[in-house]
Order: sequence, then C-alpha cells, then structure tokens
Amino acid sequence: MASSISLMIDSDLDKVAHIASAVRGVCASLLSTDDADAIELSVVEAINNVIKHGYHGQPGKDVQVLVSLQPDRVVIEVLDRASPMQSDLLDQATEDRFAFDETNLDEVPEGGMGLALIRMNMDEVEYSSAGGENRLRMVKKVGPRAS
Amino acid sequence: MLTSEVRSNVLVIHVGEKRVDASKAPSFKDEMTKCIESGQNQIVLDLSAVEFVDSSGLGAIVSCLKRLGPRGNLAIAGAKGAVSRLFTLTRMDKVFALHDTVEAAVERLSA
Repeated sequence: MASSISLMIDSDLDKVAHIASAVRGVCASLLSTDDADAIELSVVEAINNVIKHGYHGQPGKDVQVLVSLQPDRVVIEVLDRASPMQSDLLDQATEDRFAFDETNLDEVPEGGMGLALIRMNMDEVEYSSAGGENRLRMVKKVGPRAS
Repeated sequence: MLTSEVRSNVLVIHVGEKRVDASKAPSFKDEMTKCIESGQNQIVLDLSAVEFVDSSGLGAIVSCLKRLGPRGNLAIAGAKGAVSRLFTLTRMDKVFALHDTVEAAVERLSA
C-alpha cells in the first residue's frame, strides 16, 4: 500500500532544512538510519540545485517535493519550473567526482558535488522536462522492514 | 555560529550550528576566514554538535583548508552519523584527519 505526501516550499535556501525534516519525519520510522541519511542528503542536494542553478537564487519560486512510500521503495520527486538542466550533467555525475589525488589540494572539489552525491545515495535517478516542468525522480530501494 | 579557543597553541573552532548547509555555508566561510586570518594555522574544527552537512558545507570546509596553505593543518573532530558518512563517501576522510574528540585532535596537532 503506497502513501504519498506533497510538500511545497519557496525557493529560499533557509527553508530547505524544513523540507529535509518533513521528508525525514515521513520516512524515518520505516528506514535504517543510513537510508534515511541517504534520502535526506539527496533531497537537500536536489533542492539546492533547483534554487541555486535553476532559479539562480531568486526567491518566490515554487519547489515541489513528492514523497511516495511503497513497500519496497521510497520515491522522491523534486519538481520545478525553471529552465531545464543540461541533460548530460546527470549522466556525467558519478563517484569519479571524488577520485581525486588527495595529496594534491588543487584536485579536491569545493563544489559541483551535488548530482554525484544524489547518484551515489539513491538507486535510480532520472531527470525529465515536459510542459515547462522539470522533474528529478529519485528512488531508494528499501529492504524488508522490521515489524 | 563559531566559537573558538586556543589550546596548546592549536586553535579549536566549535561549530554551534546543527546544520552546515547551503544557507549557512557563506557565513561559515566568512567566520572561518576571520579565524584563519588571526594568524593561527593549526586548527581543529569541532563538528560534534553538527548533525548534517551538505556539499555546500563540505565545500566551505575544503575552501578553508585551501586558504590555510601548506604550513597549516585543519583537523576535524567529532564528526559522526551523517556527517562522518559524507566525509567517507566523498573520500574527504583522506584529505582531512578525522578524530573522535577535540582532545585527540589537539594532541595530534600540537605534537
């Protein structure tokens, strides 16, 4: 039996923690701490990207987050109406982002880590745009839950 | 969001925020920069009160390390849970020395 919730925030970085809290609240009793951490980080990174890169830091824009709890997975969708992200950015974002030479500080990244982190923390990540709306769909598969 | 003291010639910076995220990263960087410019270059960053760091927060910590330069050291103390997980996932645990406690970090840096 699936249950879903829909959350909407204003494009304000100060509000992202509220969504993280809400998503965590919905999922936490059903997930291991590691899985809850993975989902929280992914949701935060996704919303940060929408606010910073999609809306270029403009407040007053809508960011919608849909959370669907299914028996074997949690599906999170982040929706916005900004200009679409370049489609190859997601494909290019892998754990190679962190394959730097740690003895060479110039190689250590200060930014551009969000998409790679989402892909490393979630099992399925898809981006699509239609009718002026962009959708980042993230799925975390969850094991059988202790009763 | 930061308080600090000097122990054994090491600057210990305590982060008082539970979340070092994109909304907090710019002021975190500004406050850290002031600490670094005060002249101390052996620094322990105490994250024991921090529950969550995102890539903006992590990037701010990295940029402080880069600002410190080759004669400086920036060690992390008290990273746990999701924070420690982020350091491991990003291999930043190879870039920063991570210590369980401020005491252990200070001991290492003052040696």
